[in-house]
Amino acid sequence: MNELYETIAEHAFFSGMTPEHLAVLSACAREAEFKAGDVLIREGEPANRFYLMQSGKIALEAHELADGTVPIQTLCPGEVVGWSWLFPPFVWHLQALALEPTVVVILDGAHLLNAAEWDHDFGYELMKRVAQVVIHRLQATRKQLLRQEIESIMEG
Amino acid sequence: MQTMDGLESLIVKHPFLSGLDPHFYHFFNECALLRRYELSQEIFHEHGNAEHFYLIQSGKVALETFVPGRGMVTIQALGPGEALGWSWLFPPHQWHFSSSATEPTELIQFDGAHLREKAEENRDFGNELISRVARILLARLQGTREQLIDQCRAVKKVRDEMGLT
Repeated sequence: MNELYETIAEHAFFSGMTPEHLAVLSACAREAEFKAGDVLIREGEPANRFYLMQSGKIALEAHELADGTVPIQTLCPGEVVGWSWLFPPFVWHLQALALEPTVVVILDGAHLLNAAEWDHDFGYELMKRVAQVVIHRLQATRKQLLRQEIESIMEG
Repeated sequence: MQTMDGLESLIVKHPFLSGLDPHFYHFFNECALLRRYELSQEIFHEHGNAEHFYLIQSGKVALETFVPGRGMVTIQALGPGEALGWSWLFPPHQWHFSSSATEPTELIQFDGAHLREKAEENRDFGNELISRVARILLARLQGTREQLIDQCRAVKKVRDEMGLT
């Protein structure tokens, strides 16, 4: 059994996965450590990794050559990072940067997609969890946008 | 040979279901209703029970939320070919936002509990349904983030011009 099996089984995102499905996940998993300031994901590059956060803090940001970066979201242990490997064009939309020393488990996106294609039970369990997290982020981002709009109207 | 009734032919043609395995259509057909909404008529209300999934057939709908001091504020406008409403998918099955028709609108309404139940029972169908949902949700998340980025840029520009930063 892969040494990361337990780590993945304990991660909030994969809570409730069957042992068979956890074995599929751990078969393509590796652990990685990042220092504060390290870039995990670069905007525009091919997207093939799914990150499960173990410790530390990660900033999602839109990278702008001329005017620096625009912060989008800060992510903490127990959260997941990276969706762009799921659907074409398989290119990262944003940059992810470690704000603190950070430990993550990295899953291989192509392996997950193949497994989901081959075993629809696994695919369903994976996509259900993806959809649930993305719904929450979408709702939170819409509220953030609204707050920002209202603030800029008040200022203006 | 069985002929397709009007509603079934609308379901088959809707872009959300484009390319669907023909074996899965009956899961949608057996819990569908065509609903007509007048201008300004409410489709669902924030915090209400989320029981339905909608595909927009014609017209236009707004996703809205109540902001104290400002009333109902539009979050997103959706038109024909798009899907509406995800809160029926996961507990607590409560609408996060409100929605109303901003034009006379026709929606195909599906029973959320039925789709959830069939997705759990038949994982081939479940995987197909939830993958289509996830794809749209991600596209909307990316779209909303882009709006957020544009807004940050606009605010920064105004501040720079005013010499505030």
